Amino acid sequence: MTSKKNVLEVKNLQAWFGKFHAVKGVSTDYPEKSITAIIGPSGCGKSTYLRCLNRIHEEVPGARSSGQALLLGQDIFAPEVDPVELRQNIGMVFQKPNPFPALSIFENVVVGLKLQGIKNKAKLLETAERCLRKAALWEEVKDKLHQQGTSLSGGQQQRLCIARALAVNPPVLLMDEPTSALDPIASAKIEELMQDLKEDFTVIVVTHNMQQAARVADYTSFLMLGELVEHGPSEIIFTNPKQSKTEDYITGRFG
Amino acid sequence: MNQFKFRKVRNKLFLFSLSIAAVVCLAPLIMVTSFMLQKGAASLDLDFFTKLPVPVGEAGGGMLHAILGTIYMVTLGSLMAVPLGLIGGIYLSEYGKGGISKALRLATDVMTGIPSIIIGIFAYILLVVPFKSFSALSGAVALAIIILPVVIRSSEEILKLVPKHIREAGLALGLPRWKVILFIIVRGNLSALFTGVMLAIARASGETAPLLFTAFGNMYLSYSPMEPMASLPVQIYTYAISPFEDWQRQSWAGAFVLIILVIGVNLGARFLMNPKALKNFLKRSSS
Repeated sequence: MTSKKNVLEVKNLQAWFGKFHAVKGVSTDYPEKSITAIIGPSGCGKSTYLRCLNRIHEEVPGARSSGQALLLGQDIFAPEVDPVELRQNIGMVFQKPNPFPALSIFENVVVGLKLQGIKNKAKLLETAERCLRKAALWEEVKDKLHQQGTSLSGGQQQRLCIARALAVNPPVLLMDEPTSALDPIASAKIEELMQDLKEDFTVIVVTHNMQQAARVADYTSFLMLGELVEHGPSEIIFTNPKQSKTEDYITGRFG
Repeated sequence: MNQFKFRKVRNKLFLFSLSIAAVVCLAPLIMVTSFMLQKGAASLDLDFFTKLPVPVGEAGGGMLHAILGTIYMVTLGSLMAVPLGLIGGIYLSEYGKGGISKALRLATDVMTGIPSIIIGIFAYILLVVPFKSFSALSGAVALAIIILPVVIRSSEEILKLVPKHIREAGLALGLPRWKVILFIIVRGNLSALFTGVMLAIARASGETAPLLFTAFGNMYLSYSPMEPMASLPVQIYTYAISPFEDWQRQSWAGAFVLIILVIGVNLGARFLMNPKALKNFLKRSSS
């Protein structure tokens, strides 16, 4: 666990919405092929922090950020980095399943590649199957790839969105509360899937569900009021945290 | 228990008054259509669709030239206004934050409210006076000005309904913004956009005032954009105010055809892009 190299190193990341200081200097390293959970009370800046990492935060009017985040040694905030290209290397899965309307299941998965200019039908089909298998959805949709993505159930839609993110093949995958809109059975499937994803990807997941964090994450960060209170291996954070605030939160004394 | 009963009565009363209001709203539509059906359908024959007007005094003749003229000018006007309107609507919904977009939004709102006769006068000054001739082109331009703001606002409203997280999902795949807008947002809402466009076109195809002194009308077939051209609404108007009984009869037929055309375009727009709606509609009307 310790010998893994870091895929992403975040240094003193700050984020604002207008005058509101949402993330106040967070620094964390993310080792290759691991899952890191970010927990914390509502409004603590977890989602904003996550959204800085693929620079989608700056798409919101009035929002800005500062600090460093080294993706394989390259600062993603450097002026020469094109956010469009960056996002091909840091994928994202959102809180609400959001398949693209009017696109078929197949088109939803390969839309990223297709719009990047890949036209080879065989390659697109191969990618779609591989990603849908990886997202544990292939068996359920293989006979109806040309039905609309929005015709699937919520849990299936979320796995479709994961497949869509995987198709671009980013080394890092951000997940913003991916199961909060799903029922427990669908959530369990996604959690199982995350364990598989770890074999190929580095996953950072924001979650409100502490059991989920304890179950799936190798590392856990606890954020409060925009500050990183504690970060470490999950088994330590959840059994023997160093900070009293962390202990209060995970034992349910507040939040 | 008593209170519960009172609540039920109040509920019934409310439902009743709302139903009355709904019927009152529908009444004009039903009356107009049924009146047209009675008067118009009776005067309708095959000649109406296939023949040109005949001199006064002779019986028969039809409005082929006016039907074709309406299709001609509405198509030409739509070709001018729809692409521009879609671009404007996309701009307002996707980039519409600065001063330019505020001005554009205000301008389209004002344009929607301008009486159509004024638009006719505008096209007259713009294209009829300089060329010293009424023309189909000036009629088409007048119709385009009517279609344009409706398309802009309807496409803006449709695209604004797309949740923000769909756009973000597109950006998060590493796609440039223009590709997200064109291939995900617009592509995903083509049917709604198409419906908006068709409603605007349907509205324009029934307009009389903007054509009165632009396309002006004539009594023969014409395909030249630089010459006067007949249209259904103007032909209806001309025939309706004429003293000849046969013309008045044809005017009814024309009105009937026009109303069917407009309703047809309306329903067609809904069903063409959404076959499920057609199935539901047929199921409902057959049961």
